[in-house]
Amino acid sequence: MRALDTAASGMRAQELNVQTVANNIANIRTNGYKKQRAEFQDLLYQDLRRVGSTSSDTGTVVPTGIQLGSGVRFAATSRVLSQGQLEQTNQPLNLAIRGDGYFEIQLPDGRTAYTRDGSFERNQNGEIVTLDGYLVGNGITIPEDAREISISADGQVEVLSGDAVTPTNVGQIDTINFINPGGLESIGNNLLLETPASGTPQTGTPGEEGLGDLLQGFVEGSNVEAVAEISDLISAQRAYELNSRVISAADEMMQAAGAITQ
Amino acid sequence: MENAQLVSLSRMKTLERHMEVIANNVANLNTNGFKAEQMLFEEYIGSNASAESFESRDQDVYFVLDTQSIGDFNEGPISQTGNPLDVAIKGDGFFAVETPAGERYTRDGSFTLDPEGRLVTHDGHPVLGDAGPILFSPGETNISITADGVISTNEGEIGRLRVVSFDDPQQLGRIGSNLFSADDLEPQAIERPQLIQNALEGANIDAVTGISDMIKVQRAYQELANIMRNQNDLRQQAISQLGTVQTA
Repeated sequence: MRALDTAASGMRAQELNVQTVANNIANIRTNGYKKQRAEFQDLLYQDLRRVGSTSSDTGTVVPTGIQLGSGVRFAATSRVLSQGQLEQTNQPLNLAIRGDGYFEIQLPDGRTAYTRDGSFERNQNGEIVTLDGYLVGNGITIPEDAREISISADGQVEVLSGDAVTPTNVGQIDTINFINPGGLESIGNNLLLETPASGTPQTGTPGEEGLGDLLQGFVEGSNVEAVAEISDLISAQRAYELNSRVISAADEMMQAAGAITQ
Repeated sequence: MENAQLVSLSRMKTLERHMEVIANNVANLNTNGFKAEQMLFEEYIGSNASAESFESRDQDVYFVLDTQSIGDFNEGPISQTGNPLDVAIKGDGFFAVETPAGERYTRDGSFTLDPEGRLVTHDGHPVLGDAGPILFSPGETNISITADGVISTNEGEIGRLRVVSFDDPQQLGRIGSNLFSADDLEPQAIERPQLIQNALEGANIDAVTGISDMIKVQRAYQELANIMRNQNDLRQQAISQLGTVQTA
């Protein structure tokens, strides 16, 4: 009985759904994390009686046929790109983007990654780096004797060093936009990579041309809402149960058929 | 005497297929834009060998036939996703999608971009606008899609999503991957569709109806299996008792 396989595909799909929800909940305190959702598609249909086939010698046509579906498959996980909550940290090198945009990060292997996680630090050379030590942007060096660092909403990094009374500009933090940021590939460590689906990176000044502005002393939390995830989890669990009920019903039907000749 | 068994068999076969339809509905509880399916049955009168000139006419035998699976094209729940390339259709209509086999239609508006910058489905089939596929050039950002389907970016208007409707959506064929095929049906462009950007339409499946239908099917099937068993026992007894040669 094909209902068994169909329901099994439903259970598999709900397992992946629960996995996605679990990952969202696990990352509820991850800076810049964007909640994911699982997308599904129906599987092939079998035409038992084709739509539009003739049903008599005089040419009458079947208006709607019989189509038996064979279940569901996992199509994609897509990111929900709403703004995460901004949390004040008062760390001068913590930056949050209010609106669209990503920070550019240089990976040690030469590739460029993108992130919304603006919890930056200084490395031994005074350069602004991520918590993993990867360079932010093209590398902005903060002088050793810097007393105060201020980063403006449009990304200008200014420091007061030594006895100076006027701040000196040491660099500019640009943000990057994509036509389809949902198409970026997650590689873990809060980092994302460019893909054909995301489009090419467009560098811009924060606050201009649709890019969000920067907030110093804040980090962007995840956009995972506990209540929404729990309700998603419950509905995924119930859907899983429903599919397993279909399996046991199909099983009992087969048992009943088997018992005819006993 | 076989008639009871044959009628039961015809019903059991349709019940099995009904179960498959329910299983498919339940499996697609979280499929975007999925439309629930229902089975329709009809009776058909079995051919009778009897002649009508018999004094008392033979009773007709009615078998069961599943004739149609019809789609429930009611709207599914619409949920916000925050993704600019997610579009839900409120009310009537389908998006037109170009596949290698020709134009197909879908209610699943979770789109993305391909390497050429075209708006595509998750399977990579281009989504059609009024003037063919919708192409974004690199560097465009801030996609906005209005309620009537006009797509624009920071560089201005790019195109308009083609949303079509059919006189009788029941005649659409399901081909999987959330797509419908139209065959000979003529799609009619909707002038003023009601689109919602950043949102997706879920499956319009009602879990309660699904489960109660399933229980009904299961019980009916079990009852028929019992009837068949009783008929079988009856026949067995008849053979063994009637066939017993009386000695003594």
